[in-house]
Amino acid sequence: MDRSVAEGAPVVTAWSAVSPFGIGRDAFTTGVRAGASTARALGGEHGVTPVDEACLVPGFDVRAVLGRNGTRNVDRVSGLALAAARELLPQDTKGTEGTQGSADDAESRDRDDTAVVLATSGTVQEMRDFTRSSLLETRPFYVNPGAVPSGVPNCAAGLVAIWHRLRGPNATITTGRTAGLHALAYARRLLTAGRARQVVVGASEEYSAMRAWLEFHHHAPAPPGVLGEGSALFLLERWTRHSPPPLVAVLGVESQVCLDGDVEEALRRCLLEGLRRHGISPDEVWAASTSHAAGDLGRQERAAVTSLFGEQPLTRVPDLTPIGETGSATGAFQVAAVLSRREPAGEGAGRIAVVTSVDSGGTLGCGLFRLLPSR
Amino acid sequence: MDQRVVVTGVGVVSSVAQSVPEFVAALRAGRSGAGPVTLFDTTGFAHAPGCEVVGFDPRRWLGPAAVAGLGRAAQFSASAARMAVADAGLTAAGLLDRRVLVSVGTTDGGSYELDQLVAAEIAGGPGAMPAALVRRVPAGALSVGVARELGLARAHAVTLGTACSAGNYAIGEGLDALRAGEADIALCGGADAMCRRNFTGFYRLGLIAPHSCQPFDVDRQGIVTGEGAGMLVLETEGSARRRGARIYAEVRGFGLTCDAHHQTTPHQDGVARCMRLALADAGVEPGEVDVISAHGTGTKANDRTESRAIHEVFGRRPPRTVGLKSMLGHTMGAASALAGIACVLAIRDQFIPPTINHHRTDPDCALDCVPNRAVSARVRIAQNNGLAFGGNNAVVVFGEHQPEQRPEGR
Repeated sequence: MDRSVAEGAPVVTAWSAVSPFGIGRDAFTTGVRAGASTARALGGEHGVTPVDEACLVPGFDVRAVLGRNGTRNVDRVSGLALAAARELLPQDTKGTEGTQGSADDAESRDRDDTAVVLATSGTVQEMRDFTRSSLLETRPFYVNPGAVPSGVPNCAAGLVAIWHRLRGPNATITTGRTAGLHALAYARRLLTAGRARQVVVGASEEYSAMRAWLEFHHHAPAPPGVLGEGSALFLLERWTRHSPPPLVAVLGVESQVCLDGDVEEALRRCLLEGLRRHGISPDEVWAASTSHAAGDLGRQERAAVTSLFGEQPLTRVPDLTPIGETGSATGAFQVAAVLSRREPAGEGAGRIAVVTSVDSGGTLGCGLFRLLPSR
Repeated sequence: MDQRVVVTGVGVVSSVAQSVPEFVAALRAGRSGAGPVTLFDTTGFAHAPGCEVVGFDPRRWLGPAAVAGLGRAAQFSASAARMAVADAGLTAAGLLDRRVLVSVGTTDGGSYELDQLVAAEIAGGPGAMPAALVRRVPAGALSVGVARELGLARAHAVTLGTACSAGNYAIGEGLDALRAGEADIALCGGADAMCRRNFTGFYRLGLIAPHSCQPFDVDRQGIVTGEGAGMLVLETEGSARRRGARIYAEVRGFGLTCDAHHQTTPHQDGVARCMRLALADAGVEPGEVDVISAHGTGTKANDRTESRAIHEVFGRRPPRTVGLKSMLGHTMGAASALAGIACVLAIRDQFIPPTINHHRTDPDCALDCVPNRAVSARVRIAQNNGLAFGGNNAVVVFGEHQPEQRPEGR
C-alpha cells in the first residue's frame, strides 16, 4: 500500500501539537481547518507589552498542565515541549530527574536509540529576569539558582530526555524561524548515519513580554505582528515493513543563506536545487506551505513559491495565520499543518509537499515531503 | 560509500592566542589566560576571575558590515572561520562552487548583548532597548555571520545550542555531512562571549573558582569562565588530496549521548556510553588512545564523574588525560572546538599540552593529567570529551592521518 516509500526511508509515524488551538493533535487539526484566529487580548500578567494581543496556548500554566511533581523550575518553553512530548510518547516511560529507570533491558535499549532534536531559542524572558535580578538585587548573586538551567536553550530538549529517559543523541537548533527545517535535516541525518533508531524532532516557542519587545525592536519600524507560541513534535524513523503506518516521508531539507536581500531569488534557487537533488519536477509539487514571514520577507517568500508551483498548492495546506508568529516553532507547525490537510482520502497520495522557511537573519530553506495515503 | 574526513585548517580566538602559531606556543608553554573580568561590572562578587579575549580587533579579520552588525560571539566565530579558511589554503572565491556546511555551537549566543539590553531596559524601560543591539541577539548569527562574511550563499548554516559540548556537536555534524556526501567542505566549531548572566549562574551554583581552574586537583574549586571561538575546516580526504591541501589530522569518529538523568550534574553512565560510541564509530580500541582532552571543568562533580567514566571505559591504566580549561578557562560553546583544535595540533606537532595550576592529583580522579608542563609524545589518536548541561555529551576522536594504512572508505 505504501509503494511510494522505500525501505529505510525516514518517515513520520506520529505527531503531536500544543498550540493556541489547545493541547493535542486533534485540537490543532480541528482549529487549523476551521481557521479562526486565536489572538486574544493579553491580561495584566505580562506587564507592559508592545502589542496588546497574542496567540497563547489557552490555559497553559506549566504546573497546572504537567503536575506539581518536579516542575517548580520548568520554564514555559520547556513546559510546552514537555506537554507535546507527553502527547507523543507513551505515558509509562515518564521518569523524574535523578532517578534510575526501572524498565527492563529491552526498553532500556530502545531509549538509548531514541534521539531528541528540538528547534528553539530558549526563553529570553527567563534570561532577562535572571540578569535583571543580578543587576537590581542588593547582591549580584541574589538570583534564583533553579532558573540557571533555563539560561541555556538546550534546557527543553534535556528535560524531554529526562522525563522520557531518551538517552540517544540530544540536540538543540537555534537558527530562529528556519530552525524547524534545520532540526528535521539534523534528525534525518542522525537516522541515516545510524546514530539513532528513532528521533523525537520538532520545536518549541513561548510567548513572553521580553520576546515581544525583542521582536518589536528587531523589525522596527515595520509594524509588529501578533506573536504565537506552542510546540509540535514528530516521531521520525526509518520505514520498515514492521513500522507503524507512515504519515509522510521526509525526503530532504535544502537550506541556504540570502546575502543580498533578494530572498525571492535565493529561495527559488534553493527550491530548484532541492527538487533537482531529489529528482522531483516542479509539477509534482501538490501542496505547499510558506512560513508567512512578516512584511516584504513574507511577500518574497510567497512569490518564490508561486513562481515555481502556482497558487494551487498553497491552498491545500491550512493557513497558520490564526496562531500568529510562532518564531522557532514556525517550521514544525507548518509540517503539522501539512499533516492536518483536509482532502478526500487518497488525494495527493504519492505527491510532493513543500515547506518553505525564511528568517530575517538570512537563512532560508525548504523541506521536501512525500505525502502518503491518509488513513 | 562513507568517506574519510580530514582537518585541513583551524582558526582560534581565545584568551591565550588570536592565531594558530600563538595557540601552539601557549599550549606548549602552559600559559594561563586568566585575569580579572572587565567585560561586566563584578562589584559585589567575592571573586571574579575570567579568561577574556583581550585586545580583539574584529577589523583584522572582518569586513565593515560584520564589524558593525555582528555581536561579540558572532565576531569571534566569523574571525576564527576566516582564519581557518586561510589556514586551509582556501579562498572565499574557491568556496563559492562547493557545498559548504557551516555549523557553530554555542551556549549563550548573543547573551553578551542581551545583558546590555536588560541594563538599557532598567534605565529607560523596554521601549528604550536599542534596535541595533537587539538585532545582535539571535544565535543564528554565529553561523550565518560566517557564511555572510565569506559570501557563501549556498551554505547550510546552522547554530547548535547544545551548551558546553556544542563545539563537538558541530564537528560531529561536519563529519556526518561529509561522510554522507551532503557537503564538500564543513566549517565547524563553537563560539561564545563572556557575559554577566552566565557568570552569575555558575557563581550562584557555587561553581566559580576564586582564582584558577585546577582540573583533577584534589583542591580544585571550580571553573573559570572564558570566551572565544575555535573553527575547523573539515573536508573529505579526496577533496584535500585533489587540491593538494596539507592534512593536519583525520576526524576518526564521533559519539553523542544524553544522560537523561539530571539537568546540571553529569552522569557516569551517559559519559561512558558516549566515549564507547565515539571509539566504536572511529574503529579505535580504548588501548589505542594516546591522549584524552577531558571536559575537565575543575568542578568537584564533573572531574570525579568524568574520571570514573574514563576508568570504566579505559580500565586501570587510562591514557594521559589533560584539562585544557586550566589554561583557556571554560569557553562554553567554544570549549570543545578549541580543545579539538588542540588535539589536532597535538597530533600534528607530537606533543601533549599540560594541565596547569596542578599541585596534587585527586586520588578520586587518579589520572595522569600531564601536570604543568607539556610533554613530547607520540600522539596517534586523541579523544576530545565534551559534556554539557542537559546531559548533552559529545565525544570526537581525532587520528593521525595515515593514508597508506587503511583502505579508502570504512
